[in-house]
Amino acid sequence: MEANRLATESAHRLELEAAFLHAQQRRRRWLFLMRLTLNLCGVALFLLLWESVPWLFPTINKVLFPTPSVVFSAFWPMLLSGEIVLNIGVSVRRAATGFVLAAFVGIAAGVFTARSRVADYLTEPLLHGFRSVPVIALVPLSVLWFGIGEGAKIALVATGAFFPIWIATFIGVRDVNLVYLRSAACLGAGKLATMFLVVLPAALPLILAGLRQAMAISLIVLVAAELSGATSGVAYMMSMGHQLFRVDIMFIGLMLLGTLGFVFDRLFVWLTRRLFPWYVN
Amino acid sequence: MASLIEVEGVSQIFETREGQANWALWQVSLEIEAGEFVCLIGPSGCGKTTLLHLIAGFMKPSEGRVRFAGAPVGEPGPDRGVVFQEYALFGWMTARQNVEFGLRMRGMGRAERRERAREALARVGLERALDRYPHELSGGMRQRVAVARALVNEPRVLLMDEPFAAVDAITRTTLQDDLVRLWQQTGVSVVFVTHNVDEAAFLAQRVVVMRPHPGSVKRSMTIDLPYPRQRSSAEFAGLYADIGAALGE
Repeated sequence: MEANRLATESAHRLELEAAFLHAQQRRRRWLFLMRLTLNLCGVALFLLLWESVPWLFPTINKVLFPTPSVVFSAFWPMLLSGEIVLNIGVSVRRAATGFVLAAFVGIAAGVFTARSRVADYLTEPLLHGFRSVPVIALVPLSVLWFGIGEGAKIALVATGAFFPIWIATFIGVRDVNLVYLRSAACLGAGKLATMFLVVLPAALPLILAGLRQAMAISLIVLVAAELSGATSGVAYMMSMGHQLFRVDIMFIGLMLLGTLGFVFDRLFVWLTRRLFPWYVN
Repeated sequence: MASLIEVEGVSQIFETREGQANWALWQVSLEIEAGEFVCLIGPSGCGKTTLLHLIAGFMKPSEGRVRFAGAPVGEPGPDRGVVFQEYALFGWMTARQNVEFGLRMRGMGRAERRERAREALARVGLERALDRYPHELSGGMRQRVAVARALVNEPRVLLMDEPFAAVDAITRTTLQDDLVRLWQQTGVSVVFVTHNVDEAAFLAQRVVVMRPHPGSVKRSMTIDLPYPRQRSSAEFAGLYADIGAALGE
């Protein structure tokens, strides 16, 4: 009797658990689909509103304010001809090279200034002084000095991206919890092991924040550099559109830049989750 | 034979926020034997944590000498395992990787240190949490990992700085039971800082009562109650009252 009752009870329990888990899964799937649908709906609504502006305000100049359909009909042949892909490739390469360069130099400088008091005090006024100068203000000078070559553009991007990475790494490394350092010391870790296994991972949340900010800055500096003298790139394409009075091409550039920034940010977040599973924000 | 830890006339000076000189410790002398379980107890500001840090080698005394195993205390090292109050586990390493850290620093091979870490975690009852990150563990489990991380290096002394202060009361008594068991199994010395009278009475062979301003030793009380101690016993109640009275004097 008793055994029977227990068996029924446990069967009932398993049944409830299965039903519960199934419901949870369905709920998650539904939320995912709803999010996707609403995301797309938002974009569609925006495009629809944009498309209808000339209908709502008939006095508007359609050349100065191209609708999505006009922009798209200009975009499609440019995409097929490979022009768009080429310009995106050139721009991404410039931004990425500059960014990666800045990441290495910025993290190294941040660690160095945070760990050496002499280096910190020596470079303090210089770094903070240069940091305050918007890198865009260096663009004309860079064109005069170095021309409009690839190196000059990459250097400008790297300069812009360097400062947020440096300052974030500096703060992250400087403010590493003393308990971590003491733990490492009493477990027998030397200087190098402490740096790579303890200090850098502990400073990682801040370093990542600096890198993310630097990514956004890279894009800004890239556009400024390309606008002021280039023979290819997304912003160059826009400046050509400007000179040819092709506002639709300028709009293509804007949308490409928005998409690039968005995609790279998502990519960054995804990569962070993959590489650092322990890092929960 | 000399004691394992010898503290002779140690004073430690600090600068306060207001720029004043403040004695965290004033002429403290203390000896701790190999295998002994000592609790340092006192109100905040009595220098008990400072004393622990001096033995660990995190700082040098302003005056006096601290000797460990016959030699002056130098840099921190794995012969003196430290368990901190909290947040000391490396958040970017799993429980196993945390425990392996000290062995890795010693240059031990991968297979051997994995096995040792597994054993050490099994000894604190965490075999099933091997591959979990600290943020996935409860406060009590984290402190167990911290104890395993220190013990796996086979230290001569375990220096514990209010290690169970941040966990709930029910978990704390289990952790205390386990600590007594580990201490008896390994024969390690334990220096345990607390401000909890019950904890000191339950754990220690000797309770060192300290007073603040300046931090100094007030009394050293030897406890010869056998282990495991019964909190409900009359002897325990008497002991609790004695330590409380010594603190309040």
